Amino acid sequence: MRPRKLLFAAVAMAVAMLAAACGGNTPAATPAETGPLTVWLMNGSAPQSVVDGVNADFKAKHPNVTVNVQIQQWSDVTTKLDTAFAGSTPPDIMELGNTLVAKYAAIGALQDITSKKSAYENSSTWLQSLTDSCTLTGKLYCVPYYAGSRAIIYRTDMFAAAGVQPPTSMDDLMTVGQKLMAKYGSDPNFSALYFPGKYWYAAAPFVWDFGGDIATQSGSKWTGSLSSSQSQQGLTEVNNLVSKLSRADKTGDELKQDQAFAQGHIAMIIANGWEVGVITDPKSGDPTLQNKLGAFPIPSHNAGQTAPVFLGGSDLGIAAHSKNPGLAQEWLQLLAGTKYQSQMVTVGGVIPNTTTLASLSSGLPAVFAKAATNSRFTPNSPNWANVESGNVLQDMLVSIFTGKSSIPSATSAASDKITQILNG
Amino acid sequence: MEAAIRTEARTATVETDLEPAPRRRLVPRANLLPYVLIAPALLVIAGVLGYPLGMLGWLSTQRYGLRELYQHQGEFVGLQNFVTILSDPQFHYVLEVSVVFTVINVGLSMFFATFIALLLERVSRVVRLLLTSGLVFVWATPVIPAINLWQWMFDYEFGVVNWLLTHLGAGNYIHHNWFENPIQGFTVITVIVVWGAIPFLALMLYAGLTQVPRELVDAAEIDGARPWQVFAWITVPILRPIFLVLFSLSTIWDFQVFNQVWVLLNQRPSKDYFLISVFSFQESFRVSQFGLGSAAAVVMVAILVVVTFFYVRQTIRLSTEDGR
Repeated sequence: MRPRKLLFAAVAMAVAMLAAACGGNTPAATPAETGPLTVWLMNGSAPQSVVDGVNADFKAKHPNVTVNVQIQQWSDVTTKLDTAFAGSTPPDIMELGNTLVAKYAAIGALQDITSKKSAYENSSTWLQSLTDSCTLTGKLYCVPYYAGSRAIIYRTDMFAAAGVQPPTSMDDLMTVGQKLMAKYGSDPNFSALYFPGKYWYAAAPFVWDFGGDIATQSGSKWTGSLSSSQSQQGLTEVNNLVSKLSRADKTGDELKQDQAFAQGHIAMIIANGWEVGVITDPKSGDPTLQNKLGAFPIPSHNAGQTAPVFLGGSDLGIAAHSKNPGLAQEWLQLLAGTKYQSQMVTVGGVIPNTTTLASLSSGLPAVFAKAATNSRFTPNSPNWANVESGNVLQDMLVSIFTGKSSIPSATSAASDKITQILNG
Repeated sequence: MEAAIRTEARTATVETDLEPAPRRRLVPRANLLPYVLIAPALLVIAGVLGYPLGMLGWLSTQRYGLRELYQHQGEFVGLQNFVTILSDPQFHYVLEVSVVFTVINVGLSMFFATFIALLLERVSRVVRLLLTSGLVFVWATPVIPAINLWQWMFDYEFGVVNWLLTHLGAGNYIHHNWFENPIQGFTVITVIVVWGAIPFLALMLYAGLTQVPRELVDAAEIDGARPWQVFAWITVPILRPIFLVLFSLSTIWDFQVFNQVWVLLNQRPSKDYFLISVFSFQESFRVSQFGLGSAAAVVMVAILVVVTFFYVRQTIRLSTEDGR
C-alpha cells in the first residue's frame, strides 16, 4: 500500500524465497533460519499443557530459537489475519478455522505444502473433511489440526428430577423441554434449551435434517438455498424450540453460553465437546457440575436418527511470507503428530486430526466424536468467509426469532445475499 | 484524528474568546517570511491529514479486495465503487439513519450542555466544583471501558437498568432486550453518546458564559427583561461564535459515531444498527472490500464538508464583522 511497506514486502519476499530455495525439499530447518517463530493459536484450541509440551520438544531440538505462541480471539481474527498477511511480517504459523482457509489460500497467503504432506505423521489417515478444507484446486495449503462437532450438553440431575430421558427425536426434544420448563420454569432465568439468537451453527443441523442446505453448487455457480421449503421447515422447527424453551437473548451470540450454563439455570445447550471443560473450569465455570453433565446428539425429526451437524474445526497453515518455513514445519509436525494429538483428545476433549486416534475418546467426548460421523460442511468457496463475516445467517436468525420478519421473507433475503456473495 | 480535531477546537475557541479589540488590517505586502513560518505546520497537517485523505480518495477508485491487499496492487475502476454503494438500498437506509441520528444527538447534546452551563453559572461554589469534577471525570473516562460499563447496565440478563425499572414498578423488564427494537437500541446509544459529549460542550459554554458582560445583563434586567429574554437576546448572540464551533464539532463527532455501536453490540451489530461509519468498517474490514468501504467513507467526508461549510462560512462572516 505505502511505498515503504512495499519495499519491506519486497525484501521479505526475497528473504522468504531465498530461505525456500535454501530449504529445498529437506524437511529440517536450514541454518539460515534463526527464528523467532511466531505462532497464532485460537482461544480455547490447545490446552496450555499441549502448547508447553510442543514448545519443550521443539526447544530440545532448537535451543536457540524463540517461539512466541500468541492466543487470538475468534471475534476479530479475520481482521487481524487480513492485516497480518498484508504486512511484511505475518505470523509463521496460524490456526485457521476450517471455513477460513479457502479465502486465504486463494490469494496465495498460505504456503503450498502439497509436496511436504508425507513429512507429517498420520497424513494418510487425516480426517477427510478437514483435508478437504485445506485443499484448493488440488493443492494442499494447511495441516488438519482438530475437529469439533456439536451435540447437546444437559444436566443429568435436572433430567432426573423432571423424570425425562435424553430425547430420540425432535418432537421428543420439544416434549422433554416442555416438561423441564414445567418443572423449573417459575425461575425467570431458566431455559430448558438455551439458544442465543445468533447461534447459526446450532440452527444449521435442523436445516440439514429436513433436507435443506445453505447453498448448492452447479458448475462454478452457487445458489443460496435457505429459502427452499426443506430449509424453511428446519428453521420453523428451531423457531418453535426457541420460542418455547429458551429465554436466552434473541439477539445475543453463543460466546458466553458456557458461563451462563455454569450459573445453574439452564438444562440444555447445544455445544462443542471442548465446552464441557469451560463449564467445569474452576475460574470461569462451576467444577461441581462435573458429575451432573451428560451429552446426546441432536436428534433427527426421524425418530431414532441423529441430525447432521456442522463439522467445525481448525487447520494450521504456514504463511507464504514466513521467514522460517523450515522451523515452522518442524513445530507443526509436533503439534499435528501422534503424541500431541493424543493429548488433544484426552486433555482437550476434541476430535483428533486422524481417524487412527479417534478411539481414544471416552466418556462425554465420545458422544461428540460419534456425532461427527454424521456431519456436513459449509460451502467450500473462497467467498464463504464473507458470508460469515457479513453476519448474513446471524441476521436472518435474529429477525426470525424476534418476529421482525416471517420465515419466508427472512430466508429469501438471506438466500439472495448468499448467492450474491458466493458468486462474488 | 478526533484528538487532532479536539485540539483544534480548543485553539479555535480560545481564539474566539480572547479576540482582541478591533484592530486595523495591515496592507498585505509581498513578504515571504509568514509563509516560511507556517510552512512546517502546513507540512505536518498535509502529512497527518492530507496523506490519509488522499489515500482514501485513491482507494475509493480502486477495486481493492483481499487479493489486491495481499499483492499491494489494486485495479482502477473509476467511480464504479460509488455507483455500487449509491445504488444499494442498504446504503440509503444507512445514510438516512446516520443523518437522523446526528440531528437528534447534536440537538440533545447541545440542549443539555447549555442547560448545565447555565446551571454552573448559577449554583454555589461547592456545587459548581462537584459538577465540574463530575464532568471532567466523564470526559476523562476512556471510551471503550465506558461503553462496556453501559453495556453491563443494559445487559439482557444481568443489567441493572432492567432490575431497577422492574423494582421501580415501571413494568416487567426482566429479560428485556434493549437491542431487539432498533428504536430502543438507538435510544440507548444516544444516551451514551450524549453522556460522553456533554462535558466538553458544557465546559466550553460555561467558559463562554463567564465572558458575557454582567452590565449588559443587569441593564436588560432593569429594563424588565425576563430570564429567557436575557438568554435569547444577550447570551446567545454573544456566545454565537462558540455555539457555531460546538455545533460543527458535534455534527462531525456524531456523524462519525462508531465505538458506541460497535462495542455495545459485541462487534457484530445487525444491519439495523449500521451507521455510515459502521457500514464503512464492515465493508472494509469484515467483508474485505476496501474500495467500497473507502467509497462510503468518501461519501461521509463529502457530507460533512457540505454541512460544516455552512458553519465555517458563518464563523468567517462573524470574525470579519468583529474585525470591521
